[in-house]
Amino acid sequence: MKFTDYIQKIDRRYIFIVLAIAVIVPLLFPLGLPTFTTPPVRNLYKHIDEAAGEDDKAVFMDFAQSPSTLPELYPMDLAVLRHCFLRDIKVFTISYYPQGAAIMQMALSEVKEAFPDVRPDYDYCNFGYRSWALRVPITLGIGDNIAEAVETNSAGRRLENLPIMGKIKNYDNIQVCIEISGASPGYLYINYARARYGVDVAIGVTAVSAADNYPYLQTGQLIGLLGGLKGAAEYEELVETFAVNGIPYSEKKAQNLSWRQQQFELSEVPYKFKRARIGMDAQAVAHVLIILFIIIGNVGYFIEKRQEKKKFIK
Amino acid sequence: MKRTIPLLIVIILGMMFVMHTFVPHKVSQDFYDWFQKWIKVITSFAIVLGVGSLLMVHYSKIKRKAPAWGYSWVTIAALVGTSAVGFIWGIDEGTPYMWIFENVNAPLGATMFSLLAFYMASAAYKAFRARSMEATLLLIAAIIVMLGRVSIGNAITHWIPDITQWILNVPNLAAKRAIKLGVGLGMTATSLKIILGIERTYLGGGK
Repeated sequence: MKFTDYIQKIDRRYIFIVLAIAVIVPLLFPLGLPTFTTPPVRNLYKHIDEAAGEDDKAVFMDFAQSPSTLPELYPMDLAVLRHCFLRDIKVFTISYYPQGAAIMQMALSEVKEAFPDVRPDYDYCNFGYRSWALRVPITLGIGDNIAEAVETNSAGRRLENLPIMGKIKNYDNIQVCIEISGASPGYLYINYARARYGVDVAIGVTAVSAADNYPYLQTGQLIGLLGGLKGAAEYEELVETFAVNGIPYSEKKAQNLSWRQQQFELSEVPYKFKRARIGMDAQAVAHVLIILFIIIGNVGYFIEKRQEKKKFIK
Repeated sequence: MKRTIPLLIVIILGMMFVMHTFVPHKVSQDFYDWFQKWIKVITSFAIVLGVGSLLMVHYSKIKRKAPAWGYSWVTIAALVGTSAVGFIWGIDEGTPYMWIFENVNAPLGATMFSLLAFYMASAAYKAFRARSMEATLLLIAAIIVMLGRVSIGNAITHWIPDITQWILNVPNLAAKRAIKLGVGLGMTATSLKIILGIERTYLGGGK
């Protein structure tokens, strides 16, 4: 086989092996690459942070997920919940997916381990699983009264009797609805909650879906977007820098990488709260590798094309 | 009769929901509240229907010894086993149900999706060739976005993340918006055709 043929037709098993090594090594030995933040993530962080310490405000999280999207979306779940618990922001969680409900339970338990003082039904309320068919009625119903639309929490207790509901009634008290989703993110809330009640909406999505949602960002129908593992890593970084250290959010500081890097030591951060940033090391190496393969393939293609052209002239 | 009754249900309910959206009257609101109660009942029956259908499909596969019929046993065992532990011990943290989810379902699901990275790498290597102007543009955009979404891009030059953001905010946004507008108009037209009884293929029957 000619060299040009060979570099254009590398056996995909070799590609798989090289890529596997490129992904596994940075996961085992993190490179600690810096995390740059982008406006859609900073906007969401800032918006949630504005509800800190407010008794009559809550963040509404919809877990539209299944295990297939865990590597990308689960770090987002943890980062947003951690932010809320650190900054004393009330949280409501719901899922219309049976598997999403289990992920929601996992995320709440995992984050709560680090916050022994955070109490269910006081500081957060898990609405649990609701049938897919109830998505629209519940989403619209919350506009009038959350307690009437959702009725009970995951343990079957009536919402109107829970302490967390004291000053919270409907979308007027929802700081932002965040749908962290592997399917069609945010459309339910954009179409019904935002269009009818004016509530702010944000989404967390897999990297492949992120590009689909930029039109909604530009129009302001989405106030923030976490795109893939990178979005999760950025949010983790902002939580680590500001919320953990009790520093008020500043747009200027959020963009200042060297200042941010001085605020914490990544090696001291528990694994569960830095998993996206470690994952981004692997993703960075994988991206470079894929680009290299593309370049190799194209080099072979152009050499071959040139040789063919020369033959034709002769 | 088999087609007329479902058709009438769709036409009547479709028109009532359109009215509910545009007419904020008490009657319209009461209708909607009443429908909310009904939908909870209907959903419960849908679960029974779904489980029944799944069992029948796999029972039939096992009975006929269809190709890969052994996996049907795995599906039925997973359905019955997971449901049983959920009913007996509940679905809260620390229950066998959550153990199955965390140690079987979650790793299997995540693994399947993670395989995509390998296929994407292989497909990108084979398909991304600068054969034409359009292909070259796509190739350059892909490389810039791939670099711009990781910190290495910024380490090379801050222009790469800036150009990435521009690609996402301008050409990508324009194309996505055009597609979404097209899809939206198509959905509206199809919905109207269904509500008015012009489009009936969803009823089945083939005629």
